[in-house]
Amino acid sequence: MNPAGLAAAAGTPRLPSKRRTPASPPGMADPHQLFDDTSSAQNRGYGAQRAPGGLGYPNSSASPQASFMADPVSNMAMAYGSTLAAQGKELVDKNIDRFIPVTKLKYYFAVDTVYVGKKLGLLVFPYLHQDWEVQYQQDTPVAPRFDVNAPDLYIPAMAFITYILVAGLALGTQDRFSPDLLGLQASSALAWLTLEVLAILLSLYLVTVNTDLTTIDLVAFLGYKYVGMIGGVLMGLLFGKTGYYLVLGWCCVSIFVFMIRTLRLKILAEAAAEGVPVRGARNQLRMYLTMAVAAAQPLLMYWLTFHLVR
Amino acid sequence: MKPADGSIMNETDLTGPILFCVALGATLLLAGKIQFGYVYGMSAIGCLGIHALLNLMSSAGVSYGCVASVLGYCLLPMVILSSCAIFFSLQGTFGTMSALVIVGWCSLSASKIFISALDMEGQQLLVAYPCALLYGLFALLTVF
Repeated sequence: MNPAGLAAAAGTPRLPSKRRTPASPPGMADPHQLFDDTSSAQNRGYGAQRAPGGLGYPNSSASPQASFMADPVSNMAMAYGSTLAAQGKELVDKNIDRFIPVTKLKYYFAVDTVYVGKKLGLLVFPYLHQDWEVQYQQDTPVAPRFDVNAPDLYIPAMAFITYILVAGLALGTQDRFSPDLLGLQASSALAWLTLEVLAILLSLYLVTVNTDLTTIDLVAFLGYKYVGMIGGVLMGLLFGKTGYYLVLGWCCVSIFVFMIRTLRLKILAEAAAEGVPVRGARNQLRMYLTMAVAAAQPLLMYWLTFHLVR
Repeated sequence: MKPADGSIMNETDLTGPILFCVALGATLLLAGKIQFGYVYGMSAIGCLGIHALLNLMSSAGVSYGCVASVLGYCLLPMVILSSCAIFFSLQGTFGTMSALVIVGWCSLSASKIFISALDMEGQQLLVAYPCALLYGLFALLTVF
């Protein structure tokens, strides 16, 4: 009975991966059923395995261990401590989902090395890339792993942290470093990012654009400029002001083109996205908004880095 | 590179990591830098950050103890670097090169254990980069 149950449990985990991809939302009943089957089969399997082993357990335990475990007070203390820890963990897990949408964020971190390499190349040289459309799979965008056009949060997050560290390094080489300056840099960059996101959300609201551009998408796109900023500051550290201006200029132009080509597909209507010039005040307003967002990027890139390179 | 065994992290312990942190602080003390507070603070915040990132990046979750354990064990080469700093100053080309090699060594081994324990494919360099940033901070402490 038990080997058959274990074999069934071993066989069933492969089925969800075949069944879920053709129909993701309606297939919710099956995974739940399969979860119940595997856990109960495992419990049965473990219960059967532990029973013959349990007979031998008291014989094999060493005597100091036995005396410690036999003490009822320490037993109770351990049990109390573990229940307290489990309760605390439950509380944190329950509440963290209210403030931070963890499952939505997981989509933005489903990246792999190839995607990151291609995306970094695209950020620095967006001129040859032809197809900027994000691929969809039944109404949900494909994970960034499979489509180089999808936004992700790994690159912006890593670029932000690297920018703070490189800023600390730059200040250190000029003997202006102190740990609170690092915190100051971090909070000022974060404040500018928040301001930018709020300003763009406000203008999107005022222009009454119906886009599928979520706030997290926007944070991701606005975070891509940190890559260029890091490159500029590093070149400035190695080669002085000329290196800084050259690399920053190149990265500013690239991020401008990148933002225009990406946001055009998200903010403008489908007709305009195909390159056909569309009449009408509405689309013109959207075009101006896209250009304003894209033009703000080089300005912010310069503003946040020029004081680091002397 | 040989893949590491995924069952390494079935039991997580913090004895080794805490021992290595104390050893790092002790070797820094021998080199004349009293920076225990920075070591502990940076390791706590770094562990928190890497725990958050790994939970978002992997399909299976990871516990904080596991992250702290792996990062602490992979801190050992940094102790070697700081014991070198006792005998000669690391501010120079050789010092920078050795610091870079040690940071690379630490982060590659940490990322190897993480991806084999969490079964993440194609993401080793992505996990190695934040670990390299964290170990780079420790290297900055050691060198400067």
